[in-house]
Amino acid sequence: MAMVATSARDTGKSRAARNWRPDRSTVISMLSVAVFFILWQLAPEMGWVNGRFTSQPTQVLVAAIDVILNDDFFYHARISLAEFSLGFALALVVSIPLGVLLGTSRTARHLIDPPLMALYVAPTLVLLPILVVSLGIGMASKVAIVFLNALFPIVVNTIAGMSEADPQLIRAARSFGASKLDVFVRILLPGSLPSILTGIRLAVGRGVMGVVVGELFVSQAGIGYQLNTYGSAMRIDRLLVYALVVSVFGYLLTVSVRALENRVSTWRPE
Amino acid sequence: MAEIEIRNLGIDYRKPNSDEVFAAVDDISLSIAAGEFVSIVGSSGCGKSTLLLSVAGLVKIARGTITIGGRPVSGPGPDRAVVFQDASLLPWRTVLGNVRFGLEMQRWTGGDLTERAMSMIKLVGLARFADYHPHQLSGGMRQRVNIARALAVDPQVLLMDEPFGALDAQTREIMGGELLRIWEGDKKTALFVTHDIDEAIFLSDKVVVMGRNPGHIKEVIAIDLPRPRTQEILDTPQFTEYRRRLRAHLAADMAGMHFMEEAA
Ligand SMILES: Nc1ncnc2c1ncn2[C@@H]1O[C@H](COP(=O)(O)OP(=O)(O)OP(=O)(O)O)[C@@H](O)[C@H]1O
Ligand SMILES: [Mg+2]
Repeated sequence: MAMVATSARDTGKSRAARNWRPDRSTVISMLSVAVFFILWQLAPEMGWVNGRFTSQPTQVLVAAIDVILNDDFFYHARISLAEFSLGFALALVVSIPLGVLLGTSRTARHLIDPPLMALYVAPTLVLLPILVVSLGIGMASKVAIVFLNALFPIVVNTIAGMSEADPQLIRAARSFGASKLDVFVRILLPGSLPSILTGIRLAVGRGVMGVVVGELFVSQAGIGYQLNTYGSAMRIDRLLVYALVVSVFGYLLTVSVRALENRVSTWRPE
Repeated sequence: MAEIEIRNLGIDYRKPNSDEVFAAVDDISLSIAAGEFVSIVGSSGCGKSTLLLSVAGLVKIARGTITIGGRPVSGPGPDRAVVFQDASLLPWRTVLGNVRFGLEMQRWTGGDLTERAMSMIKLVGLARFADYHPHQLSGGMRQRVNIARALAVDPQVLLMDEPFGALDAQTREIMGGELLRIWEGDKKTALFVTHDIDEAIFLSDKVVVMGRNPGHIKEVIAIDLPRPRTQEILDTPQFTEYRRRLRAHLAADMAGMHFMEEAA
C-alpha cells in the first residue's frame, strides 16, 4: 500500500512556482520545438516521408480553422467536456470521503484495501466493454470510465495524506482540548491538502484519457468519435487538430491544479 | 487551586511490533503545591516526558492516580498547557497562526485572539517573525513559538518538556530568567523537564531526580534559595552544594546504566 501510494504521488513543486525567465533550458526547449516544426514542414516536401501520413504544420493550421468553422467542433467538444466534467465531479465527490475514511480507519483500510489496490493497478480500460454493455454507447459509459479512471489516484493520495499526519501535531492539538472534528478539520485536512491535490492532478490526465479512449472505443459523438472518424478516413490534418485540442485541455487543467498545489504547499520545506 | 498529587503512578507502553507492554514509569508519587516550580532531571529515556505527558492527560494511566486541585486527571484540560519537547508546530500556519491555535481550540473568550497571540509572540521576542512559517525559523525560534502557544491560553499548570533544549547557553539563560518573571507574575504551577542541572536549580523550588528501568523517583531535593533569583546566585556556596548533590545522583544513575549494559 505504502509503496503504491508513494509511487503514485510526486511532489507538486517545480519551476512553475518561480517567476518565468527564459533561462538556458527554456531556450533549448523552445529551439527544439521550432526545429521539430520546421522538420515536420519540410520532410514531406523533400520527399523524406509520405505527407499523407504525417501531414504538415501549415495543413494542420488550415484544418484547425476549417474544423472550428464547419465541423460541429463545439458540439463534439461539449459532449466530451460534459462526460469528463460529470465523471470527474463524481470521482471527486466519492474519492475524497473514501480516502478520508480509509486513511483514518484501520479497519476500513484492511477491509477495502486489497480490492481497491487490485483495481488501481489494473487498467480500468479493460472494464470498458462491460461498461458499454451495461450502460450503453451513450454518454453514461464514458462518464463511468472517467469516474473510474479518476477515482483511484485521488483515493490513494488522500489515504497517503491522511495516514502521514504527524502524530505529534495531533497530540499537541489534543493538549489544547481539540475534539475529533477539530483534529480532522485543523490537522488532517490542511496537512493532506497538497497530497489530495497531487491526486487530483494525476486524475486529470487519467480522466482525459478515459473520455477519449471511451469515445474511440464506441460512441456516436465527442472528440474521440471525431478522432476515430478522421483516423479511418486518413484525414491526418483533422485528426491532429482534435488530438491537439485534447492535449491542450489536459495540459491547461493539469497546470492549473499544479498552481493550486504550489499555493497550498508553500509551507512545505524545500 | 492547582496543586498536583501523583500517587503510585504507573504508565505502560507497548513494545514495538508486539502486544507486550513494559512500564515506562512505575510507582511514582509526588506532591506539587499550587504555584510551585518543580523540575525533573534524569538520564535520557528514564521517563521524564512520560511523567509530564501523564499530568497533561495525554497518555493512559495504567496504575495509580493523578489529581489536580483534587480532581482526577482523565484527559487534557484548559487548566494545563504543554510545551512539547519537539516543537510540534503546524507547518502550514505562521507563527501567529500557531500561537492562535491553542486559543482557537480552547474557544478562548478573553478578548481578541490575534491581540492575545501577538502579545505572547512579543513576550518570547519573535514580533518580527509573526508572519513566518515554522520551516523558516531556527530550532530555538520554533521552541519559543511552542512556549508562546502554551502561555497564550493562560494555564494554571504549565508543563514544559525541555523547552530550552534547542537554545544556545546565552539565550537559554535569558529565556530562563524570562520564564521566572512570567511565573512569579501570576504564580502558575510549573513542571519543567531539563537536562541542565544549573537550570533546574536556578528555576525550581524542588528538583526531582529520576532513575530508569522502570522510571522512578530517586530523590526530591528542595531548593532553598531566596527569590527573586538572579544570575549571581549561581556562584553562591549553597548553589554549588546543590549542584554537587545533583551531579552525584545523576552520575550514579549513569554508572548503573553502563553496568547493566555490560551485564546484558
Ligand atoms: N509512545 C511510546 N511508545 C512506546 N514506548 C515509548 C513511547 N514513548 C516513550 N517510550 C519509551 O518510554 C521510555 C521513557 O521515554 P521518555 O520519552 O519518557 O523518556 P525521557 O526521560 O523523556 O527521555 P529524553 O530525556 O531523552 O527525552 C523510553 O524507553 C522510551 O523508549
Ligand atoms: Mg523526553
